[in-house]
Amino acid sequence: MLGSLRESLDLTLFWEYRAILLRGLLENVYIFLGGAMLAMILAFAIGVARLSRRWTVRVLSTGYAELFRNTPEYVLLIWVYYVLPVIFSRLLATRFNFSPYAAAILALGASYSGFMSETVRAGILSVPREHTEAAMSLGMSKWMIMRRIIAPQAIRRMLPEALNQFVSLFKATTFVSLIAVEDLMYKVSMITVHEMRPLPLYTGAALVYCAIIVAAAQLIQHLSDRWRRRGWA
Amino acid sequence: MKRMAAIVRVVELRKSFGPLEVLRGITFDVREGSVLTIIGASGSGKSTLLRCLNYLEQPTSGEVYLDGKPIGFRIEADGRRAPDTAANISRMRAELGMVFQQFNLWPHMTVLENVIEAPIRVKRLARKEAVDLGRRFLSKVNLLDKENEYPARLSGGQQQRVAIARALAMQPKVMLFDEATSALDPELTGEVLEVMRALAKEGTTMLVVTHEMGFAREVSDRAIFLHNGQIEEDGPPARVFSAPTSERCRQFLSKVLH
Ligand SMILES: Nc1ncnc2c1ncn2[C@@H]1O[C@H](COP(=O)(O)OP(=O)(O)O)[C@@H](O)[C@H]1O
Ligand SMILES: [Mg+2]
Repeated sequence: MLGSLRESLDLTLFWEYRAILLRGLLENVYIFLGGAMLAMILAFAIGVARLSRRWTVRVLSTGYAELFRNTPEYVLLIWVYYVLPVIFSRLLATRFNFSPYAAAILALGASYSGFMSETVRAGILSVPREHTEAAMSLGMSKWMIMRRIIAPQAIRRMLPEALNQFVSLFKATTFVSLIAVEDLMYKVSMITVHEMRPLPLYTGAALVYCAIIVAAAQLIQHLSDRWRRRGWA
Repeated sequence: MKRMAAIVRVVELRKSFGPLEVLRGITFDVREGSVLTIIGASGSGKSTLLRCLNYLEQPTSGEVYLDGKPIGFRIEADGRRAPDTAANISRMRAELGMVFQQFNLWPHMTVLENVIEAPIRVKRLARKEAVDLGRRFLSKVNLLDKENEYPARLSGGQQQRVAIARALAMQPKVMLFDEATSALDPELTGEVLEVMRALAKEGTTMLVVTHEMGFAREVSDRAIFLHNGQIEEDGPPARVFSAPTSERCRQFLSKVLH
């Protein structure tokens, strides 16, 4: 029995398919990058809007954040891919479709922008009001203060939390095979159909994902430590 | 003589926070090149007054003029008052330097970066020019050797001197000091007062909120005592500090001096 376990854990089969699997993994990486980019842009806009002086802006942006934060990524992914095009088609009175990639990036970007807007909001709030007042007293404009005084400090404080969210986002990219994005999981299941040996293939995939996340986390941790050491009080 | 001109003019200034009326009609002028000291008990509205001058607080009513120009509002063609644009308010603020009790340096920037930030961003100076300017003011506060340090590595007195250099680097018409030494350990107040004394001697127009009565008496041309949101005592320092007519001012001084 031990022998058969060893055989099934023998990852040479996984290695044989490395070229195809790597192409699949790159899809995960692209979707991660696209989703992360979109999430950050949206999160920043929503995070700032949630601190607006106008209550309508505050309510709308908070509603957005709560909606996307509390909808499971998986459900959102399916909804964006299958339901949203139907709505658009009706509205525009033409056939409308998302490519699986666009749907994946949109769904994951929106989903994580909800989480991250909270981080952005907390990061901005962590910068003392006095720093802004000092800048105002020197004649700096609102936008300049955001860019030069608040954002650099807020981002450093957001890093550990944002790092966790990026890790979750990367993990969530493994759902995209469900809407036929040909990512690593998709390739693995295709190959499994051929080879009938799921154990080494899925084990290999698990190890690869895990290794990437550990490596990326180490790298970002290293970078943020270095940033922080630069005279951080 | 230019020194006689009122560079700051405050007319019937009022400020309320909700139901709390903190300033109840403050009127005074500050001549160019003179030093005005503002004293008063904690909570009497000294900070609020300074913050209304550079529009960090929006006055509820009344007017503030800097060099003849209204701050925070403009007069429309039909004579009505309208709030000024954000850009104009920023421009006016750049002409008033402010030094805060808690220094408020930006911790992610070095000393020199703190000083040259506004000259580069607001005055659009070239970096090299701004660096020259910044170094000039850092040497003025005796901190040229710290230009590459981050604020967290400086003592309170050093941080406050950087904050003064940062305000001076905008070459403002008027300097506002809000209890610049109150957050400092007693042994560090001297170095900051020294810098302020030198500025006063050079003819910098200064509005100084302070509890350092000896210093105030020595450098100021005039002192006012705030009580209950109004000017309760107003006059040359020798009179305000030694022979105030107001009983409350006398009580306040005897409390601070002992
Ligand atoms: N932003 C604010 N909101 C509400 N009340 C305020 C605010 N700022 C100051 N106050 C109140 O106004 C009064 C005067 O405050 P302040 O000008 O700071 O006095 P001082 O500087 O003389 O100690 C205090 O009672 C204070 O609590
Ligand atoms: Mg005060």
